[in-house]
Amino acid sequence: MDRVNFRTQIISNHLTTTQNNNNNHNLTTLPCINYQPPELTEPRPYFDTLLLREIIDGPMFKNNDYLFSLMKQSTLFCPRNRGGKVFIGPDFNKSMEEQREMTMKRIEYLRDQGVFDGWFEKEGYEGDLWRFSVAESVSVFDHSLGIKLGVHFFLWGGAIRFMGTKRHHDKWYKPTETYEVKGCFAMTELGHGSNVRGIETITRYDASTQEFVILTPCESAQKYWIGGAANHATHTIVFSQLEINGVNQGVHAFVAQIRDENGNICPNVRIADCGHKIGLNGVDNGRIWFDNLRIPRENLLNSVADVSPDGQYLTAIKDPDQRFAAFLAPLTSGRVTIAASAMNTTKIGLATAIRYSLSRRAFSMVPNEPEVLLLDYPSHQRRLLPLLAKTYALCFASNHLKMIYVKRTPESTKTVHVVSSALKAVLTWHCMRTLQECREACGGQGIKTENHVGHLKSEYDVQLTFEGDNNVLMQQISKALLAEFLAAKKRNKPIKGLGLEHLNKPAPIIPSQLTSSTLRTTQFQTDIFCLRERDLLHRFVTEVSQYQAQGEKSKEHIFSVTYQIAEDLGRAFSDRLILQTYLDVEATVPAGPLKDILGLMRAMYTTIVMEEDASFLRYGYLSTDNAAVVRKEVPKLCSELRPHALALVSSLGIPDAFLAPIAFNWVEANAYSSI
Amino acid sequence: MAPTNQVLVNESSNVRTIVLNRPKQLNALSHEMVSRLLELFLAYEEDPNVKLIIMKGEGRAFCAGGDVAAVVNDIKNGNWKLGADFFSKEFRLNYLMATYTKPQVSLLRGIVMGGGAGASIHGRFRVATDNSVFAMPETALGLFPDVGASYYLSRTPGFFGEYVGLTGARLDGAEMLACGLATHFVPLEKLSLLEDALCKANTGDPNIINNIINEYSSTPKLKETSQYFRLKTIERCFSRRTVEEIISALEKEADKNMDDWIAWTIESLKKASPTSLKISLRSFREGRLQGVGQCLIREYRMVCTVMQGKFSRDFFEGCRALLLDKDKNPKWEPSKLEFVSDYMVDRYFTALDDNDWEDLKLPARSNLPSYAISKL
Repeated sequence: MDRVNFRTQIISNHLTTTQNNNNNHNLTTLPCINYQPPELTEPRPYFDTLLLREIIDGPMFKNNDYLFSLMKQSTLFCPRNRGGKVFIGPDFNKSMEEQREMTMKRIEYLRDQGVFDGWFEKEGYEGDLWRFSVAESVSVFDHSLGIKLGVHFFLWGGAIRFMGTKRHHDKWYKPTETYEVKGCFAMTELGHGSNVRGIETITRYDASTQEFVILTPCESAQKYWIGGAANHATHTIVFSQLEINGVNQGVHAFVAQIRDENGNICPNVRIADCGHKIGLNGVDNGRIWFDNLRIPRENLLNSVADVSPDGQYLTAIKDPDQRFAAFLAPLTSGRVTIAASAMNTTKIGLATAIRYSLSRRAFSMVPNEPEVLLLDYPSHQRRLLPLLAKTYALCFASNHLKMIYVKRTPESTKTVHVVSSALKAVLTWHCMRTLQECREACGGQGIKTENHVGHLKSEYDVQLTFEGDNNVLMQQISKALLAEFLAAKKRNKPIKGLGLEHLNKPAPIIPSQLTSSTLRTTQFQTDIFCLRERDLLHRFVTEVSQYQAQGEKSKEHIFSVTYQIAEDLGRAFSDRLILQTYLDVEATVPAGPLKDILGLMRAMYTTIVMEEDASFLRYGYLSTDNAAVVRKEVPKLCSELRPHALALVSSLGIPDAFLAPIAFNWVEANAYSSI
Repeated sequence: MAPTNQVLVNESSNVRTIVLNRPKQLNALSHEMVSRLLELFLAYEEDPNVKLIIMKGEGRAFCAGGDVAAVVNDIKNGNWKLGADFFSKEFRLNYLMATYTKPQVSLLRGIVMGGGAGASIHGRFRVATDNSVFAMPETALGLFPDVGASYYLSRTPGFFGEYVGLTGARLDGAEMLACGLATHFVPLEKLSLLEDALCKANTGDPNIINNIINEYSSTPKLKETSQYFRLKTIERCFSRRTVEEIISALEKEADKNMDDWIAWTIESLKKASPTSLKISLRSFREGRLQGVGQCLIREYRMVCTVMQGKFSRDFFEGCRALLLDKDKNPKWEPSKLEFVSDYMVDRYFTALDDNDWEDLKLPARSNLPSYAISKL
């Protein structure tokens, strides 16, 4: 009887299955997938999206918008209609040479609209903010455009401005503004990059003609990666050792002409192309050799040191280390723009991927039910929403960096250096990580060049190493923190500056049993971030002094073997700094919906840092139990942020035209009729 | 609301032809007309018997704009909120048209100005003809190009939109087609044949409608003196950051190469209300990067601030000088561009400081065609 029942059961199962199969015919009659704009399906914004945009874009947001609209209106920026919307972006299918020419034409267009008028005249911190705003906005269109412009105005122009004196300003400002002179900046060599003091180019002085003679003594001394050198630049800043009467006075900067007004390469200069790159092909990076090129004595940029007509070396700063630091300090602006551009690129990636995830569906939970929106999957939320909250935190930090840079004083040089190093590294790493996640979150659409997210990875990869390799920068932070700590100890005074004052207080106590609500308090978040920084700094101090006690004399050697703790400390410093700037921003917002959202995102940011960074468990700031509480909190925070995803993405402020077709009506954009 | 004879409807199976019927006032949109149009468009969207809407004007104009004289009168007699109600209805109508699920064909005979542009340009098909005259002349009135102009003007090629919107330049049918404000050009004598053909076809399929209009279309030649040939100069000058810089760029051009067109352009900017010019430019610049809904919400803030009259009373002065007393000599206050501060301009773009005032509430939309979605 059992067997009979069993058989019946099997047969009836077959029948029901068959029936189900029949039902599946319904699937073919389901209507086609229609694009539903998330604006219609998502809840209305809970907070004022415009206000949040003003906060993350800072005081120059109107200027940014003006530049966006200039670019959107010119055919030089390749407008394309996709799904009824116009998108702009470079044509990456063009050859390297064509991309370079387009970059130059776009710059000339912006110049013709008066964008660069008064570049060097605008004074004060508003002038600085305005210059940053120009560079950042054009980078939103294309990294090549931003870099090409940045090399000319910030590196060439910045060197003339900060390293030069009145005679240089009078001579070069105007032709630089009009692009009559196209500048580049020859610092890096084949053999030396981050270690600028090791460069091998030699410049000697010839008193008989009152000229400097620049020489590339060997192949490793060839100037390398010089943006603008391969095709367009007429002039360059040359970094070189200065040798006076056989004595090396260290690295100095000179102005040299490398092409005549017709674009022909000058005598005693050789130039070659760096060739095709993984990205940034709109910038003509080149290599330069100097064959005893003679330049007038006046071309030494002499803000810090000069050579008299009869060949005497003159300087007010005797210590070569200090001289070198004073020399390069004003060039920190590069890191400020890199950090800010990294954030804009991150915004493009997130806005695209999140908008796509709010209109693209995959798999049904129940047969014949509509498929589920990507962002309604908790796992998809976990991939994108923490990155969104973190991006807000890092944008605030980037604004903070900009403000301390533009309001810098001689006393704040060290802070600006440390903070810019930390944030340049953290923000660019975040950018690359986010782009990779966004590219995967868009599936195959992510690899289409016109959808930006995938392609931007190769365009922006270079930011991890230019203007200072990120890993080197992180180690420098730890060195600086160590120096601060030891100096305070030596003076027997409380530690001050870089936000380290919390070290003077007793160590914070972390509750042994964390709860969801504790995790969301400012107190706890600050405590655990400070505890981590403080403990790691102490550990670093101990480790270094142990090596010293063992008789190790070379500080550099000690730093090279303590890199593990140094990098952990670098991150701990950065995370604490970012949290601090976040709290400062939050304090300026009156109680209300926007403040609630900022609080929620702060909880997300801090929780995700604790979940992802192994140091919390490694050094015991979180017990394993507490780590479990932290991990459980993440999906909860994700689901709370989920309803605000669209509004938060809108507040990122990237205009639609700079996003991608998949961020909008991707069905129409791909329709056969749109080919 | 009782049906009004200011808006007539001809029914022909599934086609509804809406006729603006106030010919003595060149079909200027009264409060009554705007209310009726809103009502009709809302009803037709739900009505399965309606597939296509044709819009046209009775007499020699399509529509000369909103009846601002009446609005100013309302405001003078008491509360500017009556005016706010008018604009709220008009803008909601604009939004509905911009995101309509059914095709709208507007036959643009004669004058298409201000609110008349708003009642047609947002629709799917705009048919210009030999005697079409398009303009957004608001800056001369102390107002600014509204009805979603910051959306559609800012989407014309280069900086043509800034030029048209700031100077109030008049475009003919060929120019409308060239810059995309019109989708088709049909010679005047064929316009009624087209209308009959559309009624006969009785379809809501945009592709078929497009083909039908194409059958009657021709490609008009731009006049030799057309301002459209000045796009390069327009781009060089009207792309500038501020109104002051635009004017000085134009003056530089004039130094190099003076002609009637440049002289007229500079003249019309100098005659316009300085406040209007500044808020209009900012509105176009913001509009270029926004969807049509955002544009209308912003313009509603602007128009209410104008009517509230706290920062400038140029709108009343403009209406007095051009529409009522007709002395054509408005006394603007502030009288010069440099007296209009950024702070004052900002006031037009923020929510009003008034307890009973609310931002424009746009009607909820669903099941939009892709054509409309792209405008969001």
